[in-house]
Amino acid sequence: MDEKAERQLTGLLAADLDDGFTELVRVHGRAVYTFLLRVSGSPTEADDLGQDVFLRAYTALQEYGSERRRQLRPRAWLLTIAANVWRNHLRTCSRRPALAGVPVDDHADAWTDRSPGPEELAALAEDRRRLVSALLELPEHHRTPVVLRHVLGLSYPEVAEVQRCAVGTAKAQVSRGLKGLRRLLEPETAVLEEVTT
Amino acid sequence: MRSDREAPPREPGRPGLAGLAAEPPADFAVRVLRRVGIPRETYDTYVRLDTAAGGLYVAASPDAVTGAALDTGGLTAAGFEELHRSRTHRSAVRSARPFPGVTTALRTGRARRLPVDLSPLGPADRAVLEAVRAIPAGQLRPVGWIAREAAAAPEAVVGGLARNPAAVLIPCHRVTYDNGTPCDAGHLPEAGDALRAAEGIDLQRAAELRRRGVLFLGSDTTRIYCHPTCAHARRITAPHQVPFRTAREAGQAGYRACKSCRPVSA
Repeated sequence: MDEKAERQLTGLLAADLDDGFTELVRVHGRAVYTFLLRVSGSPTEADDLGQDVFLRAYTALQEYGSERRRQLRPRAWLLTIAANVWRNHLRTCSRRPALAGVPVDDHADAWTDRSPGPEELAALAEDRRRLVSALLELPEHHRTPVVLRHVLGLSYPEVAEVQRCAVGTAKAQVSRGLKGLRRLLEPETAVLEEVTT
Repeated sequence: MRSDREAPPREPGRPGLAGLAAEPPADFAVRVLRRVGIPRETYDTYVRLDTAAGGLYVAASPDAVTGAALDTGGLTAAGFEELHRSRTHRSAVRSARPFPGVTTALRTGRARRLPVDLSPLGPADRAVLEAVRAIPAGQLRPVGWIAREAAAAPEAVVGGLARNPAAVLIPCHRVTYDNGTPCDAGHLPEAGDALRAAEGIDLQRAAELRRRGVLFLGSDTTRIYCHPTCAHARRITAPHQVPFRTAREAGQAGYRACKSCRPVSA
C-alpha cells in the first residue's frame, strides 16, 4: 500500500470514524486475514480472530483523538493488534488445553485443524501446500516475522514495529525463520531457491 | 483460498511465500462492520455475478443498486472498489449476498423495476438513463429515440450512456446509433455483442437490415410500422414485411407508428 493511500485513509479516519473504519476494513481486511491464516493455519480461527482484531481496533480508535488517528500508520498498527490477538490466543490455548484450537508444539500433526481445509487442499499446488505446512512447523517467534515480511510484504521497520523490537532483531528473526523453512523443505529447496533475506 | 486476485505489493523474486496471500471469506468485512455497529446505510456491499459478457460487480446500498461494472476491461475486485469509491464517495465492501432482485434481473434482462440510485448524476444524464431503462429486453432503440423520450439533445445522449453507473442493469447495450450501428459507449463492443446475443437479438439479421439501410419494418396487413426488433415487428411474417428507410417514407405510404415501440414519426 502506497504512502498516498495511507494518508488518505488516516485523513478519513480523523474526519469521520465510521466512514474511515469502513475503508480500513475494506483496504486492510485481506492483510489481517492473511496474516492470521498463515500463522494459525486454520481458516475458521483466522476468521474469528480477524473479527476480534477489528473490534479491538474500533474500540481503540474511539478513544483516540483525531490528531492521533491522523498520525496512525494503519497497516502496521492493525497488524500489531493482530499479532497481539494471536499471541493472547496462543496463551489462552496453552492455559486451557481442553479448549485449545491450536495444539502445542509436538502435537502439531495430530490436529486436523492445523492442516489446510479441503477447499484449500484442492486449490493449492503441492509445493504450495508443503510451504504452508512448513510455515506452521516453524516456532512461533519466527513464523510471525516471516509471514509479515514475505507473505504480506512489510518493510523491516514495519516488521520491527509490529514485533516491538529493533530493526536488526526483526531482520535476524526473518532470516532465521527462512533458514528454518529451508531446512524443513530440504528435499524440495527449489521452492525457496530465490528467497533470500 | 485463492490468492490470484489482488496480491499485496511485493518485490520480485519471491514467488513461494508471496503466493500465500489469501482472500478472506466473502462476508468477512460485512460481519466486522455489523459487529462493530457501523450503520448499514453508510456503506455499500457488492458481489460479483456472472453475465453473458463476463463477471459483473454489483454494489448496492440497503435501498438501491448504486453501481455496477463489467470485469471485461480487466477490472479486479480492488479496482472496482476504488472506482466505486471515486464515483459515489461510498465504500463498497465484499458481501456474499446480492441485492434482492439483481440475480433475477440479470437472468431475465428485465431490470426496469430494480431500484438504481442515479442521484450522483446530473439531471440530463439521469433523464437519458431513465429512458434507456425503458427499452425492453431483446430490443434495440436508436439514439434519436432516447433523445426524444428523455427530452434531451441527441448530442448529449452518447455522453450520458458513457457515464452509465450500472452497466448491464441499465441496458445501454440496447442503444444503437440512428443508422442502426450498436452504440457501445460505456463498454467494449464484444461485451455489447455478447449481451445482445444473450437476449436473443439476431445480430446477423440486424446487420443485414443495416446494410440495406432499413430502419423500420411495417406490416401491410395492419399498416403499422415498428423498430425491427419490436416484439410486434418480429411477428410479421416474411411475405407481409414492408421495409422503410425513414419514418417519412412510412408515413407517405399510409403507415402509422407502432404505439408500443413508438418509433420517431416524421
